[in-house]
Order: sequence, then structure tokens, then C-alpha cells
Amino acid sequence: MRFNRRVFSTMVLAGLSGGLLAATLPSSAQAADAKRAIFLANGTLGDKSFFDSAARGMQDAKAKYGDDLEIRIVEMGVDKSKWRSFLQDASEEDYDLVFTITFEIGELLAEIAQEYPDQNYVLIDGFLPEGAGDLQNIYSVVYKANEASYLAGVMAAGMLAEGTNVKGTHLGMLGAFDIPVINDFFLGYVTGAQSVKPDVKVAVSFAGSFEDAARGKELSLAQYRTGTAIGFNVAGLTGLGQLDAAKETGQWAIGVNSDQELIFRESDPALADRVVTSVMKNIDVTVARTIDLLFEDAVPLGQFEALGLKEGGVGIVKDGVMASVVSDDVKAKIDAAETAIINGDIVVESAFGKDTAEIEAIRTAVRP
Amino acid sequence: MMDLAASLLSPEFFAAILRVSTPIILVAMGVLISERAGVVNIGAEGMMLSGAFCGVVFSAYTGSATVGLVAAIVAGMVGGLFMSFAVHVLRANLFLSGIALNLAASAGTILALFALTGEKGISGTLDSEVLPSVHIPWIQDLPVLGTILSGHHILTYVAFLSVPAVAIFMMRTPTGLRMRAVGENPEAAKATGLSVIRLQLQAFLLCGVFAGAGGAFLSMGYVSWFSQNMTAGRGFIALAAEVMGAGGAYGTLAASLLLGSVDVLAIALAGEGLPSELLQAAPYVVTVLALALYGLRQAKQKTIGTVH
Repeated sequence: MRFNRRVFSTMVLAGLSGGLLAATLPSSAQAADAKRAIFLANGTLGDKSFFDSAARGMQDAKAKYGDDLEIRIVEMGVDKSKWRSFLQDASEEDYDLVFTITFEIGELLAEIAQEYPDQNYVLIDGFLPEGAGDLQNIYSVVYKANEASYLAGVMAAGMLAEGTNVKGTHLGMLGAFDIPVINDFFLGYVTGAQSVKPDVKVAVSFAGSFEDAARGKELSLAQYRTGTAIGFNVAGLTGLGQLDAAKETGQWAIGVNSDQELIFRESDPALADRVVTSVMKNIDVTVARTIDLLFEDAVPLGQFEALGLKEGGVGIVKDGVMASVVSDDVKAKIDAAETAIINGDIVVESAFGKDTAEIEAIRTAVRP
Repeated sequence: MMDLAASLLSPEFFAAILRVSTPIILVAMGVLISERAGVVNIGAEGMMLSGAFCGVVFSAYTGSATVGLVAAIVAGMVGGLFMSFAVHVLRANLFLSGIALNLAASAGTILALFALTGEKGISGTLDSEVLPSVHIPWIQDLPVLGTILSGHHILTYVAFLSVPAVAIFMMRTPTGLRMRAVGENPEAAKATGLSVIRLQLQAFLLCGVFAGAGGAFLSMGYVSWFSQNMTAGRGFIALAAEVMGAGGAYGTLAASLLLGSVDVLAIALAGEGLPSELLQAAPYVVTVLALALYGLRQAKQKTIGTVH
């Protein structure tokens, strides 16, 4: 027994040191002038959304540049009090770029960037606080979610106008909160729908939570039962309740941020079949593109950029359910709208910079 | 507005009230038992969340909804064991233990979800089972009543049937009487030879049964997956319902239905252009109002008592 245990611990030790060796090998094999990038996830991977997408972008870049690029991905966890020390540690390790994402980290990043003026940072889908605009070591990127939502609106109103496989008289949207980030999706969705069907009506409900799927389902059931044919959810986990309501009532739903059809494709195909498309923020594309810019020495530090359809920052899922459910005519309308937005012929309105009263007026105008 | 009036009087509206109230009724019955035994269970939310999680996981791996429900109930009871261990053995503060259970359940279910599926938000990749809906013969064919009363999730009927069961258990059985005695005055109960700890442990376990079932309702029928913190405060609403119901099973049922109705009304009004924040606050406003009225009545009764 004792012998066995000793053998076992020797094996464990051998395994551990072997693992350590393997872990250190690649970095020692890096080219001497390799670029180094780190992604600090202010949460955990496995969210099927933002953090996974950013990590995928890092891996894509690594696959492209091989030994010329050294990447590291760190999960900082959900405890905000620990983020500062993670950021400080990363800032002292001489990375060429430090990637951070989401609106939760903007303020902290601005402070850290002041502490380490020689370190360069990227902030994706977040905002720096007022007055931090003169920081010359942050490249800040946000998404024009309104542009992709416009395409979703074109699709939904197109399906509604044709009326061949929809039951209902108007469109719907389920939001988490009445806040600019969510209203930006709403505004794009409504204007896109109006471009196809000027008198289109859109019912809007807010759940007051990002995590209450049951409430999301109940709100969506109420919408679907009162004439909503196609719903659009912008409410995180709450929004998934809409997909279940769509399955139960035989109506259509539109997902957000990640391809929501894929979440259920294996486990619940009947539900996945109700998700026509999803409006995506392509964080992976942004991360990979920024690393491309790093190799060209062209990262626009000190600047703020809003990425839309043109830059590949946002988009909608066109394969999957949409391919078989949406008519060629509507697909052509979507492609035309996409081209027009990319060329600048259509400028989609944004909720950022609009006050509550303006948004409320638009909501009232389209209320069924 | 005509549409609104029509939707408020529609059978679907009343069916929604029964659906929304179900988890609150179930958990409130559990809270009632624990409260009457003198150990009001703040940890009901955590028990509920564990139940929702275990229901999905066990039904997915065994392919049986029944096994899932049993697992959900057992998960709730394990929460009850934890509470009893913390309060009776470790002599920890009752409220803090409950809060600890809630936090542990919130983080623990995410950790376990990650260990099992590699995901942290939702159990979408697990092919979990749902509990059946029940179509009542005869009643389902009735024009309006059929829609309201028939076709609900089986646990909705269980929730309503559990109300008289809990009422009889607490008021008419020796164990219920002993639990209440322990809750009223543990010292006196001890002096008569009752085991305070054993009775309170039983109350915690029963609370776990109801809370676990309430969680299973959410993840095995209301929706068909587990997502992080999906109970979204329903355990606390159930605590409020029990207080509003003044510790009686029927009063608690009425309070749960009132809270459920306010919630469904808020959902029906969501599309009518009222501020969404106001509607979301409605159930809490009603709770505060009801508690204030209850407090006033209590104060009045006390005054009457002192006069005579």
C-alpha cells in the first residue's frame, strides 16, 4: 500500500514536471521579436457570448501568426475588487496590447491607463468615463448594434408583409432594461422594419432582469398571444425565455449576441427551429483585426471607433433557420440594406445621445 | 385600450396567474412550515436554485423526469440539512446561514454546471426532461374554465393541493402541533420533553421538499433548462407571501395569488407605455402595502386587548 502510494506520488510528480516543461516550451521557442498580447476576461470563459468570442479571436490570431505572436488569456472572475490587481500585473509584464471587454471595466481601465502611460490597451464594447478621452494609450471600440438590428428588422417586417409563414399582425421585442445599450438594438430594429413596411407596429416589453428566463417567457407569451408574429430578444438569459415561448406558441424569435439557435440545436431542435436569426457582435473579428493592426504598427491608440457592418463588427446569422424559412425576395432586401449601410447610403439612427423622451416617443409611435 | 380590457378578462390571463403563482405557493408552503417551527428559512431561494439545477441535470443523465423531480426535492432537503447543521450543531446565526446557503447555491450551481457541461450560463446543451402537463377530463372541454384550469404543469396542481395538506398538517396532526409549540416557545416545548432540534430539522427538510419542487417547476416545465440564478428572487417573494399570509396556509395561498396577479397584470400592461420600472416594482409595492396594513391591524388588535 505504502509502496503503491509512493509510486503514485512519483508518477504525479513526474506528470506535473512534464506538464510544466511542456507549458514552458512553446514560450521559450517564441521568436525573439514576437508580439505579445493578453486578454483579461472580466468574468469567466464559457459564456457562449462575449468572452468566448474574444478568446476565439485571440486563438484565430495565434493560428495566423504562429511563433510571431504570443498570446495569453486570463479569467479575472466576477469579483470586481480583484480586477485592478490583474490589470496592474498585466501592465507590468510588457505586453504589446492588453485586451479588455464590456462596459463594466471602462472606468477602471481609464485609471490603470493613467498609472501606466507606456502600456497600450484595447477596450472593446465599453465606454471610457467622461474626460478620459485624452488618454493616448487606449484604443476604444464599440459596436453599431443598431446596424445589425436594422437587418433583423428588414427580415422580420419582410416576413410579416409576405405573411406566408407568420401568424400575427405585428413585431415584438423583449428587452432587459430601458437603457441606451438595449434601445440601440430597438431603434435599429424599428427603422429597419419601417423601411420595408412603413406602418409596422412593434410591441416592446422590459423584464427588469438579465437572468429571469421564466419572466422572459411570460412576457413573450403575452406578446405572442396578442398578435406578435416575430419577437426579438435583447435580454441575456432572460431573453432565452422568449425562444421557449416561441416554441410553445409556434411563433418566431430573433436571438442576440451569439447564435442562439446553436445553443439548443442538439438538445431541443423544436426550439432551435423557431430562432430565425441572431444579431451578432463579432468580438472575435475585432480582436483578430486589432492584432493585424498591431503587426502593421497601426493600432489607432487614443481613438474611439464604432464598428458596424462595414468593418465586420456586427452582423446577422444567415445560415441555419433563416436559409430555409425566409424567402429569396426578403433575403435580397436584407442584402440590399446591408450594401446600402456599408456604402453609407443608409445611416441607421442610434439610441446613444438620444434622451429618454425621444426614445419613448418612437416607442409610442410604433405601439400596436 | 379595448384590447387591453379583453386581454385582462381572457382565460389566458387567469391561467397565467396560476402559472406565475405556482413557484411562489410551493416555496411559501415550505417557508411557512419552517417559520412556524421557529426557524424562518432565508435560504429558501438557494434551496430552490439547487432544486432547479439538480432537476435538469439528473433528468438529463437518466432520461427520466421523475428521477429529476426526486433529485430536485433531495437537493432542497440537502439544503435543509445544511441549515440544520449550521444552526443546531455549529450554532450559527439563522439568517446568516440562510444567506450563506443562497450564495453557495448561486455559485455552486454555476461551478457544477461548468464541471458538467463546460458552460457557465445555461444548461442548453443538456437534453433534460420536463414534467408533464395535466389535461383534466371533462373540465378541459369547458369553454372558459377549461383554459383556466386545465393543461397546467403537474406541479401547479401539486402546489394548490399542498395548501390544504399543509394546513391540516400544521393544525391537525401531532407533529404539526409540536412544530408550532417549538416555534412559539422552544423552552416550554423542551420542558415538556419535545426535541426542539429534531422538530426543527424536520421543518427544514420539509421546507427543502417544497423549495426543491418549486425549483423543479421553473427548470422542468416553465422553461426546459437551467440558467444561472434563474430563481431571480422568487424565494424571497415566497418569504414575503408567508409573512403576508400571517403564517396560515390559506392566507399564504391568497398572498401568493395576489403577488402572482400583480405580476401578471404588470406583464399584461408592459406593452401599454407605462414606465417599465414602475411595473417591475409593482409586486414589491404590493408587499410593502400589505405588510403595512397587516401591521396596522395587529396594532389595533393589541389596543383592543389592553382595553379589556
